[in-house]
Amino acid sequence: MASEPHASGYLSAPLYLLCVALVTGVAIATAMALRPAFAHKMLEMTGLEAMPQAVPNSFYAARVAPLFAQHCISCHGETRQKAELWLDSYAFVLRGGRHGAVIHPRDPKTSELMTRITLPAGDDKAMPPEGKTPLSPDDVTVIRLWIAAGASPTMPAAAIKGVPQLVAEVTFPDLDPAGTRRRRAPLANVMQQLSARYPGVAAYESRNSADLELNAALRGATFTDTDLKAFLPLHDHIVHMDLSGTAITDASAQALAQMTALQTLRLTNTKTGDATISALAALKSLKFLTVTGTHATGPALAPLSKRGVTIHGDGDAD
Amino acid sequence: MPTDPGATEDRIRVWDAPTRLFHWSIVALVFLSWLSADQGYMTVHLWSGLTLLALLLFRLGWGLMGSTTARFSDFLHPPRKVIAYLKSGGGLLHAGHNPASGLMVIALLAVLLAQVLTGLFGNDGLKFSGPLALLVSDDVSDQLTRIHGIIFNIILALVWLHVVAVGFYHFVKGDNLVAPMVSGKKRRTRVPEGANIIFAHPVLAVGLLLASAAVVAWILF
Repeated sequence: MASEPHASGYLSAPLYLLCVALVTGVAIATAMALRPAFAHKMLEMTGLEAMPQAVPNSFYAARVAPLFAQHCISCHGETRQKAELWLDSYAFVLRGGRHGAVIHPRDPKTSELMTRITLPAGDDKAMPPEGKTPLSPDDVTVIRLWIAAGASPTMPAAAIKGVPQLVAEVTFPDLDPAGTRRRRAPLANVMQQLSARYPGVAAYESRNSADLELNAALRGATFTDTDLKAFLPLHDHIVHMDLSGTAITDASAQALAQMTALQTLRLTNTKTGDATISALAALKSLKFLTVTGTHATGPALAPLSKRGVTIHGDGDAD
Repeated sequence: MPTDPGATEDRIRVWDAPTRLFHWSIVALVFLSWLSADQGYMTVHLWSGLTLLALLLFRLGWGLMGSTTARFSDFLHPPRKVIAYLKSGGGLLHAGHNPASGLMVIALLAVLLAQVLTGLFGNDGLKFSGPLALLVSDDVSDQLTRIHGIIFNIILALVWLHVVAVGFYHFVKGDNLVAPMVSGKKRRTRVPEGANIIFAHPVLAVGLLLASAAVVAWILF
């Protein structure tokens, strides 16, 4: 169903295209005037807008950016830009969102971001929104002080006074069951035998470790020098040892000297003395030693103390 | 199937009512979808998107069994024909879509369909999730939400091109394409001699729309 056309219009093609270019330009300019975020995007695309970067050790990088990363960028970052607001870089933070700047340097009271993060929970405009982890009062203070100080990208972390202390972040290593099984394998047979003979005395330090704790204190005087020697096959895996109240004597000095991984040793109320203490000089990992109720003397303990071993009790039991 | 029921001395009916209603409904719903998402009225956005989906499904069916000028077979042409048409500067008259506008229709239908489908799996990061978002992981939902945003820009570009092309026909070639999409009728001088347009019965359109709505309801519930 096609045939030749008859009528023609009232503009030439070049003139029409010129009009299109003008109208499109006016439309884009209007959109830029009405939507600051769009304006920033256009200026950035054309290289007409500078993108200031924060200095790595600045207050912003050390204290403010981590708060945005933790609480804000899931909705105002790479994946999603609610209200066209990006909070994942200093330039974008200062740029603001759909309705313009959310931070007014030196004026936290008029900064939309401050208003939002201080609204009561449950308010429709409160940020982070209901269901997300809220900012703590200290977090809010950090952001407020940063804005009040000028919202600088370069100001050093220590330059702003009265800032709440940074809470250290503690991370735990991931469990590695296969690796743990592999490290424990050489000990398995000995551990099985000793567990049958001395139930509850030797145990792994943690679920993720092949290091051992030896606690003979509960066996009291029934645990002797001979019993301790039975644990020598595990000598380089025992890191903590409690021999308090056992029948251990200086006869175990050489056995203890072979416990090269030992970090903590409790000899409270045992018949050990300076011979044992002297033998412990070979234990480079030893950090804590308890000698209350033993025959250890100050001169014998002095080298260990000098080396940095923390010693509890002063020995010299009679 | 009746032919040319509204023909007059100087005008001939080329677009059926369902096609015209579909066209202007899409215009309104795309605008409403943008506005509701922009202002955070996500419930309105949801229903606007679902209505779009129903209309798009309807249009796919209408493209197979609707009136002559609404059918894909009438305006789907191989690329060489489209290129030849563009090179000729819009040489020949067509009762319905010309080869270039046919391509535009297909492109718009494809991106609109992609837009509503990605929207079904998207989320706004707050309290709103698309009706099918729970079928995919959060990461996939976030990714589809990003694509949803990108496709909107493609829709804007296509709408711009569509409007510019319609303006070109109006101002340069003297062919008003907007009025026929409102009234359904074109000047006889703008329709090829002997054009035989067969109009599908409106009841078929109503049935098709109900079936499309049922599919959407099934997705929703």
